Amino acid sequence: MGEETTTLGTIHISPSALATIAYHATMTSYGVVGLAPRNLAEGLAMSITHEPARGVSVNYNGEEIDIDVHIIIEYGTRITSVADSVANAVRYQVEKALGMPIHHVNVHIQGLRISNPD
Amino acid sequence: MNPDVQARLERLKSTPIDGQVLKKLVEAGLTWLRANQQIVNLLNVFPVPDGDTGTNMVLTMQSAYNEIVSLGHHGVGQMAAAVSQGALMGARGNSGVILSQLWRGFAHALHNQDVLDGPSLVRAFAEGRDTAYKGVVRPVEGTILTVAKDSATAAAEALSKTDNPFEILARVVMAADASVERTPDLLPVLKQAGVVDSGGKGLFFILEGMLRYINGEPLDTPTSTVQPISAMNMENAMEDIEPGQDFEVVVDFIPAQELDLQKFYAELETMGTSIQVGEGEGMYRMHIHVPTENRNKPADYIMGLGTITKVGMENLVAQMDEIDKKSAGSRIELTSIEPGQIAVVSVSPGQGISRVFASLGVAAIVEGGQTMNPSTKDILDAFENLPTDKVIILPNNKNIYLAAQQAKEVTVKHVYIIPTHNIPQGLAAMMHLNPDGAVEAVAARMNKSIEDVIAIEITTATRTVEIDGVSVEQGQVIALVNGKLAVSTASVEESCLVALEKAGTTDRELITLFYGEDLSSAEANRIVDVVRAAYPAQEIELQDGGQPHYQFIISVE
Repeated sequence: MGEETTTLGTIHISPSALATIAYHATMTSYGVVGLAPRNLAEGLAMSITHEPARGVSVNYNGEEIDIDVHIIIEYGTRITSVADSVANAVRYQVEKALGMPIHHVNVHIQGLRISNPD
Repeated sequence: MNPDVQARLERLKSTPIDGQVLKKLVEAGLTWLRANQQIVNLLNVFPVPDGDTGTNMVLTMQSAYNEIVSLGHHGVGQMAAAVSQGALMGARGNSGVILSQLWRGFAHALHNQDVLDGPSLVRAFAEGRDTAYKGVVRPVEGTILTVAKDSATAAAEALSKTDNPFEILARVVMAADASVERTPDLLPVLKQAGVVDSGGKGLFFILEGMLRYINGEPLDTPTSTVQPISAMNMENAMEDIEPGQDFEVVVDFIPAQELDLQKFYAELETMGTSIQVGEGEGMYRMHIHVPTENRNKPADYIMGLGTITKVGMENLVAQMDEIDKKSAGSRIELTSIEPGQIAVVSVSPGQGISRVFASLGVAAIVEGGQTMNPSTKDILDAFENLPTDKVIILPNNKNIYLAAQQAKEVTVKHVYIIPTHNIPQGLAAMMHLNPDGAVEAVAARMNKSIEDVIAIEITTATRTVEIDGVSVEQGQVIALVNGKLAVSTASVEESCLVALEKAGTTDRELITLFYGEDLSSAEANRIVDVVRAAYPAQEIELQDGGQPHYQFIISVE
């Protein structure tokens, strides 16, 4: 995917490498209490592999990079504000590491966690 | 201190904190944060240096305050719950969300309580911290979270010495201040940027504002900090002129010894308002608004502190009159649109041109042009709130067409874009506006009309180049006819004449010349007289266009 040709050869950056960066950016964002598998099959696979980028998918169509993150948010926070800062943090961290622009960062709220009923 | 004030303070300190007192404290926190908003904004480094943490926190607190402003007598628990609700609804940005969580925990701890005493304040701080920390899996230390944590710890420690909530708050503020100063040690990005954490600083200002209110200190003069001179906001200061503060004094100086800022500010506060102090390369700049009788005092005072390099003084009253006159003259009356009518949004590079567009029935103007392309959002904002869903956009520049196209894609309104590449085409299109017509037909007519007009743009070449068979030296005056380079000459006058000739003006009827901001009206009039002499059969109009970079934009019809 992310590809760059230098005088020494070509550098390939795999989607899962980017997903790991996006995962860490998401997990340190305020209001996010977890990432969620996109579907049941992934959920099952994840429970055995402990893949560090669960809930994050990176799509590259040959021109543009899109990142989707599926998150669980703390109940009682303003969802749009949290989603905004996740999108900003993911874009910033990935673009900083990659040096290429990210086309879209899509944030999917998969659930809310209630830890403080009030 | 004034005995009345003293008595009021004593009374305040001995009264229990009920809902009304909490309301005052929230208001004080908000006011003080707002006064120091710029300082917080300047601290922003992450994730992008967009400098809006202060603004976000102010908006969050404002929303919290709006929720309680009309609440009558209530227990402190109910009041805190309303603050929490308001903060949640208005939470903006990361720090705003965290702030709303702090309030949420704070309110939860005070549930159903009538008054706030020492132990319950300590509990509220602790629960605020706990709630905020629950909102993130991997808390980053050296942020507002750390400051909240240290504040809660200080509150708990203070309880062993006093159970007066005001004294506990005083200790909390001290701890918050120290905690903010430690943030760079915990978070390397802060250290690299040489700043403290902005969200933490914002939280500190809210707490300090509350304490200042209790101590009867003013909440409107920003705290004694020094900013880089380049960051001093002189223009904005014009807006906060208070009656009686008639002179603006700016003093540049080099202090003989290190400046005691607290003392410096305190002294200046006795003279006037809107105090700002900036520093750069050993030099300081002081800015203040003072009443007429105090106009020499700041300079006299600073003279005793070191070497003055420059003193500037301006009469603000005269300046304000000037601004009033200017803005009255430049106010543009846009056409108001009835529901169902067609609204035209036009991009315009200058005041004069905007006015002409407005007189032709444009409903919204977006400022922009060749060197300042408006964003999709600018265009969208211009028409989103108009009470109609029929919109026609005149981008009036090739480079703006795309942004207009994107605005069309994101809105639900029926948008037509007329591909006008220059101002004359936009004006020609406006001639065919019928606001009550069928939008499709009107757009089609406008589209057709833009072929009838010839546009000439006169500007100065920014580099040496050869295009369309014309070779251009940097600094020469060039003329573009319908976007194509037609001629390059030494003078504006010559460019106009050659371009008009190339445009086949003798077969046309009307020439309208818009002169730009780089050209004086006398010079524009002189050139127009030359044009009149050359084209006696044509009707010729001169308008103040006010556009940057282009000496003339000429429409030939």
